[in-house]
This record gives sequence, structure tokens and C-alpha cells, in this order.
Amino acid sequence: MAMHPMEQFEVAPAMGMEHPLFHLFGYPIYFTNQSLLMVIVVAAASLFLSLAVKPGRLVPNKTQSLAEVSYEFVANMIHSATGEEGLKFFPFVFTLFVFVLCCNFFGMVPGSFTVTSQIAVTFSLACLVILIVIGTGFAKHGIGFFKLFVPHAPWYLLILLIPIEVISFLTRPISLSVRLFANMLAGHTMLAVFAGFVILLGGAGGALSALSILPMALIVAIMLLELLVAFLQAYVFAILTCIYLNEALHLHDQH
Amino acid sequence: MADATPTTATTGVPAEHKGGFPPFDTTTFPSQIFWLTVTFAFLFVVLWRVAGPRINGVITSRRGAINADIAAAQTARGEAEGAASAYQTALHAAKSRAQGLAEENRLTLNAEIAKAKAGADEEAANAMAAAHARIQTTQDQARGHVLKAAEEAAIAIVARLTGETVSSADAAAAVREL
Repeated sequence: MAMHPMEQFEVAPAMGMEHPLFHLFGYPIYFTNQSLLMVIVVAAASLFLSLAVKPGRLVPNKTQSLAEVSYEFVANMIHSATGEEGLKFFPFVFTLFVFVLCCNFFGMVPGSFTVTSQIAVTFSLACLVILIVIGTGFAKHGIGFFKLFVPHAPWYLLILLIPIEVISFLTRPISLSVRLFANMLAGHTMLAVFAGFVILLGGAGGALSALSILPMALIVAIMLLELLVAFLQAYVFAILTCIYLNEALHLHDQH
Repeated sequence: MADATPTTATTGVPAEHKGGFPPFDTTTFPSQIFWLTVTFAFLFVVLWRVAGPRINGVITSRRGAINADIAAAQTARGEAEGAASAYQTALHAAKSRAQGLAEENRLTLNAEIAKAKAGADEEAANAMAAAHARIQTTQDQARGHVLKAAEEAAIAIVARLTGETVSSADAAAAVREL
């Protein structure tokens, strides 16, 4: 039985939910394996972050420390990237970080589904970030937000720099979403490929079966690397959001 | 990873696109975006309204407790320092008072010593003066005796040599002329 490495990324209706729940703007909406994972992730994150902390427990236990550390981690990230003013975006950035982080980590469980390996999800999140950035920029600076595309430089350089700035701004949702999507996709594909090797070698019999320990060891190593990537990509997603928000809030003042 | 396999086989929709690159299968996008919106919005509301304030409350109250403790410790330290400086002041005062007393005592003693010495000196001078007077008296007496003896000797010598009798007054005058 040959396992296709891409099979794990297939979004399919969850077992027993083969019929569309309803139609939205004419599109059928299914409850899929991915929907199930998102519900699990959100339920777990909500319950954990809400219940780990007990009001008045000043000396935290382990779970409370974890919740507090994640809270302060994001708060410090926003504060260092955008200053005091960016803290009003804390709930959004915190949600973004927790959502991406938990989706990445839950995707590491064998047999589950990696929500963030879907471009539809990462691109939607990236578009949400950019829309909030644009909304913030216009709300704060009005038409002056376009100064974002005009760096401090002599006029003859501006001819070159303004198109570059515009393009780099417009490609942000793509770079933001593809970075996360491609990282998760590549890591999980690699794991599936090596898992396929293990099955092939193990089924070959004889001395070849003994060799299957090699791809198995590689899987363990890549798994550890993927745990790091899972955290790192969530962090990168959140910190880039903060940096974009900072630009929308302060234009080029801080540079 | 393989969980989806059985369902995929039994369902119509994704199966039609099997063989393509699953993440680019646009037929799944409406469901993906719908559930992403629902779950993300739910998580946002929970973190914004419930979890965030709870965690923030604990962190804030801990910071408050720590600050209150530090403030109390600083007050206590201030009090301790105040007590220490009060002790130092009292110690200094006591020391200087003791020095004052010692100095006063020394002055009193010196004055007494000087007075006693002066008294002793005076006594000694008096005794010396009396002694001098006694010596003078004795000398005068001795000189008187010598003159008397010389007077009588002169009278006797004159009487023996000339046979004249010289009055004692002349003899005394003659002796004095010598």
C-alpha cells in the first residue's frame, strides 16, 4: 500500500458529515477533517487559556505559568515592535499567534490534520492582517497613510523607491501566507515521504527491513525540527503582523 | 495522517479533484474559509473577553502585590534607618555629654589642685619667713652679746692699763667705732 505524501493535505468532509451543512452564497459548506481540527484547536486553546489561570493565584502552577508566559510573550512582542500604541491590537495578535501556534502543534500529532498547511487558511489570515493594517493606517493618518510609500530619500531615488515600496506592500499578504503554508507543507511532506520509505523497506523483508531504522531515525530528527518550525512560523507570523501594524501607526517615523 | 483516506473514498466532492495538489483544490475553499472565520472569531472573542482579562488580572494583581510588598519593605527600611540614626544621634549626644563632664571634672580638679598648691606655697612661705625672722633675732641677740662682752672687755682693759674707770657708755661708743 503506497501512501501518497500529498494525501494528508486533502480536505475532505469528516466521517459521517458527507452532506453539505448548508449553502453560503451558493457554495456548499461541509464540516471537514480540517474544520474538526480547527474546532479542536480553538476549543483546546480557549479552555486552556481561560481555565489555566485562577484569579488570585499569585504564585502560578505550571499550566498557569504557561498561559502567563504566552500572554506576556505576545504583549512584549507587540510592545517592542509597535510601542504603547500597538497594545490595543493585543487581542487580535494574541489570537493570531495562539491560533497559528496551536494549529501547527496539533498538526504534528500523527493522524491529525495541519490546518496551516492550507493556502486558503494562511492567505485568509494574511488578508485579515493586511486589511487591519490598511484600516488602521487610514484611520490614524487619513490620506497621509500614502506617505508609507515615500521613504526618506532624495527625489531621484524616489522614482525608483516608490514603485518598490508599493510592490513590497502589495506582496505582503502573499509572502506572509506562503511562508507559513510552504513551511508546514514542506515539513509534513518530508515526514510523509520518509514514513513511506519506512513502510517500503519494512515490507521488503530480509536485510532491507533492518535498514528501515534509518528513515525512522530521520523522521524523529525532522519531527524535532518541525516542532521548532511550528513555533518559529507562528512567531514570525505574529511579529510580522506587529511590524506591519507599527508601520501603519508610525509610518516612517521610527526608522 | 491517513485518517481522511476512508472518507475521501466515500465522498463525491473532493474525490472529483483527486490527483491534483490538494491545497489548491478551490472547491474546498468555501468550507475552509467559513470554518476559519467561525473558529477564529470564536477564539478571538474568548481571548479578548475571557482569557485575556483573566490572565491580565492575575499579572496585574501580582505586580500590585509585589509593589505593595516592596513599598512596605522600603517603609520598614526607612523606619530602621531612622531608628539607627536616632541611636547614632543619642550616642553622639551621650558621648559629647560624657566628654563635657570629663572636661568639667578635669577643670574642677585642676582648680582644686591649683588652690591646694597655692595654699601649700603660702604656708611654706610663711614658715620660711618665720624661720628667717627667728634667725635674724638670734643673730641680733648674738651680736648684742658680742658687743656687751667687748664693752666689758674694753672697760677691763682700760682699767688694767690706765687704772681709769671708763663709763660703760664711753666704752660702748668706742667699741662701736671699731
